[in-house]
Amino acid sequence: MEEVVYNFRNQTWLLSAHRAVFWKEEQALIVSDIHLGKSAHFRKAGIAVPAHIGQDDLYRLQKLITVYQPAQVIIVGDMFHSSHNNDVPLFKLWRQQFPKIRFKLVKGNHDIMKEQVYVELDVEVYDELQINEIHFAHEPCEEGDDTKYTFSGHIHPGVAVSGAGRQRLRLPCFYFGRNCSILPAFGRFTGLAMLDAEEADAVFVIANNSVLKIG
Amino acid sequence: MKNTASGWKVITDWLTARDRQPFAFQEEAWTYYLQGKSGLVNAPTGYGKTFSLFLGVVIDWINRHPKDYHSKTKNGLQLLWITPLRALAKDIARAMEEVLQELNIPWQVGIRSGDTPVSTRAAQKKNMPEVLLITPESLHLLIGQKEYPKVFTSLTTVVADEWHELLGTKRGVMIELGLSRLKGLAKKEGRSPLRIWGISATIGNLGEAMDVLLGTPDPEAVIVRAKLDKKIELQSILPDEIEKYPWAGHLGTRLLYKALPIVNESKTTLIFTNVRSQTEIWYQEILRQCPDLAGALALHHGSIDMELRIWVEEALHTGTLKAVVCTSSLDLGVDFRPVDTVIQVGSPKGVARFLQRAGRSGHQPGATSKIWFLPTHSLELVEAAALKSAIAQQIVESRMPVILAYDVLLQYLMTLAISDGFHAPEIWEEVKDTFCFRDMTEDEWEWTLAFLTTGGDALYSYDEFKKIDREGNFFICRSRMQAMRHRLHIGVIVSDAMLKVKFMGGGFIGMIEEWFIARMTAGDTFSLGGRILEFVMIKDMTVLVRKSNAKKAIVPSWMGGRLPLSPNLGKVLRETFNEALSGNTTEPELQVLQPLFNLQEYLSHVPKADELLIEMIHTRDGYHLFAYPFEGRLVNEVMATLLAYRLSKRTPITFSIAMNDYGFELLSDQPIPLTPDDVYELFSLDHLSIDLQASVNSTEMARRKFRDIAVIAGLIFQGYPGKHKQSRHLQSSASLLFNVFTEYDSQNLLLRQAFNEAFFYQMEEARLRESLDRIYNSKIVITYPEELTPFCFPIKVDSLREQLTSEKLEDRIKKMRPEF
Repeated sequence: MEEVVYNFRNQTWLLSAHRAVFWKEEQALIVSDIHLGKSAHFRKAGIAVPAHIGQDDLYRLQKLITVYQPAQVIIVGDMFHSSHNNDVPLFKLWRQQFPKIRFKLVKGNHDIMKEQVYVELDVEVYDELQINEIHFAHEPCEEGDDTKYTFSGHIHPGVAVSGAGRQRLRLPCFYFGRNCSILPAFGRFTGLAMLDAEEADAVFVIANNSVLKIG
Repeated sequence: MKNTASGWKVITDWLTARDRQPFAFQEEAWTYYLQGKSGLVNAPTGYGKTFSLFLGVVIDWINRHPKDYHSKTKNGLQLLWITPLRALAKDIARAMEEVLQELNIPWQVGIRSGDTPVSTRAAQKKNMPEVLLITPESLHLLIGQKEYPKVFTSLTTVVADEWHELLGTKRGVMIELGLSRLKGLAKKEGRSPLRIWGISATIGNLGEAMDVLLGTPDPEAVIVRAKLDKKIELQSILPDEIEKYPWAGHLGTRLLYKALPIVNESKTTLIFTNVRSQTEIWYQEILRQCPDLAGALALHHGSIDMELRIWVEEALHTGTLKAVVCTSSLDLGVDFRPVDTVIQVGSPKGVARFLQRAGRSGHQPGATSKIWFLPTHSLELVEAAALKSAIAQQIVESRMPVILAYDVLLQYLMTLAISDGFHAPEIWEEVKDTFCFRDMTEDEWEWTLAFLTTGGDALYSYDEFKKIDREGNFFICRSRMQAMRHRLHIGVIVSDAMLKVKFMGGGFIGMIEEWFIARMTAGDTFSLGGRILEFVMIKDMTVLVRKSNAKKAIVPSWMGGRLPLSPNLGKVLRETFNEALSGNTTEPELQVLQPLFNLQEYLSHVPKADELLIEMIHTRDGYHLFAYPFEGRLVNEVMATLLAYRLSKRTPITFSIAMNDYGFELLSDQPIPLTPDDVYELFSLDHLSIDLQASVNSTEMARRKFRDIAVIAGLIFQGYPGKHKQSRHLQSSASLLFNVFTEYDSQNLLLRQAFNEAFFYQMEEARLRESLDRIYNSKIVITYPEELTPFCFPIKVDSLREQLTSEKLEDRIKKMRPEF
């Protein structure tokens, strides 16, 4: 169950345990909140977190691209964590493996670098993006209707599940609300913000290498 | 020495003139000091422990300057006096100044702590006082200044006051490291060795306490004991009907009506509780039941405004208060003579702490210290009886020294790097000579250097790690920003993110934990510092409130208030239980509990001395296993985890684990695979070490320990004061760091430290072996009660729990539901 097929709004969505969604009809790989360069940013400030988290995140993205062979990669914000550091040239090099794939970034609050940088990286930058009935925006929003549904990120969603014997777990999740879905953070150097699963239409948790629907 | 030296005569004449006589232990300490020895003075508060060393230093000074000691000024720093509490420093400085003035010695006494104004610090830098009272943190800040060796060029003596409080903590390690540098400087400059003395209350391992302080074993070092008999009388406040007194989870206020007459009949009463939230509740409740006390009742704990605390302390001095509700914040030193009564609410969890608190009353030498014990639930009365017995047998617990605290070492090395920089071989020699780091290997030393210079062993070309520059064997921090940041976070006391609480119109009330206030919405009321406040909003990291007239309010609970029973008290507790269970005890506390034990026998079983009781109970919460080794919380915790691990090897199963000082609980959603035939192998000594390591790895214990470690080692960026926004891209939680280290750098020394702290530092494996062996060779009685028993109830209601599982995550989730 490394991925779950979710038919929603007459489209086919493959929810991957590697914290990404593949939109079959549009051949789009969708991820959010990669926070590239976060560990490098910390290290530059003298905080000795492991150095290769960013590299590893890119390696995982590379494997997903190899599996799904997408025509486009949509990043729903917070692609880079902060200002320029050496993870940017690293990404540039990495990017050259996939010259035919379009990278579309929907700007998030962490994406603070100059536009010229993204041009050099061959990444298209959008404030918001609309593909057919699907709207992409970094921060979750409540508005929407039968003809418009938002995919967002930003908050690194998680849910708490509990069971008999006072058991309790907190897990990252794909959250599908009435008008808006919230994607799990792709980068591994990210925390979790707990959401109320009751208000969602569907919640899929990520447990190791599985995706499980709950509620 | 006594008769020939002039200094001795000056001091004794001065004492005689004031109608006073030195205690024998003071003269003993002076003699050893004058011989140039180092050592430890063991004396309780209120018996002139300060003078046992301070006057020794003065005598020595007069001896060395017999002609001009009345006029000689600007002599540079002679005596460094390290104290754990800023409040203590003021009192001690006052006493020292008085002596110097009367002896007409123009020495300066200075204080250096977080409260010292910048102007005073600058003045001190130009002209150091002869005596400097300092906290461990401020000592490190001093070492973090440019040209710091100059400060110490005339230093002869260092005293670590209240050493028993610091030993066994990371602040103690800060002192060990600070001393190693001061000794190193003296050696390098060819001065005579420093005289290093500790002052300690009675603890079980005084000899070890001295070894830790002195670092390298010093065969000449001596322990001077005050041998003063302190009479302590303990009396419990007993509930009238034990059947109706709560089994668990209460605050003791039900017995307040019996405590009030005691308060009224006393001059001044200190009421000790174990956690800050309890002091708030007690304060409110006393005022409700006895409004007359308004104005004469105060509150004292670590989260209220410093000025208010100082006011309370002064009011205690002058005797204007009738009662103070407090936590361990009033445990230490400061002398409150008017206090004649102490009430301990709930178990104090340790003999030493209890003695210290009892000692707050009847401070005068020879006076009897009386302390009342007020139980918060029934079984705590057994602890009262155990305390009595421990005091009678003169059993006092040991404080285990902290070893291999890499986090503190990293912080210290950074401190050296931001001042003048350091030569690694020189510092390595000094560090290796401390007790804390004597078992550190050269590889580990290289790792710490690499951690600070290259950010670990990740040496790939893209890396931009910057902290300390390495120039051969010389290490220095050249970034002013890094240096400033480091200075702000020197110290090892880690608390949750705390926010200031202020009135809308200004006026600081106290501090509150961020997570508590995060749950509030505008209009909610809570109590702090004895006041009921209405939450308005959070602005600029400050909680704004207004006064509220509400009668009821949420009481903030502060984390980390739990104290484990000390191992020694654990043993006495077991003996006391045996006595209680025998049915023919004479202790009033135990007699009053008989109906409870009868109920326990009726529902389940009352274990004998050579038995271990296990209760298997099924409730709507799930399947419970309760076991009662009576070993104290620390051993029970490890034993519970070990048992859970061994049971989980039998079948895929998940446990939630809870424990207290008497026993522990394993709770599961499925029946627990345990029968009378296979129960003994759970306590077997076979493969113990391997099983222990595996069981700690499968719980969250290490993750919790990692929090402090990450902060101390400088991995958590705490921001600059007033500049919260700029640092937001450097925020991360300790829990997240724990995850990434576990995943990407599992050999990290700081991770290893977290695992060690979780298990092996808090208890000796030898003691666990002993306990397991005792149980293995005893009779294990398993009962299957229909309902909860008096023994298990306090454990079951405990909400602080560990998880241990051998099930697949996916399988567990399938049985669970989202939380609403």
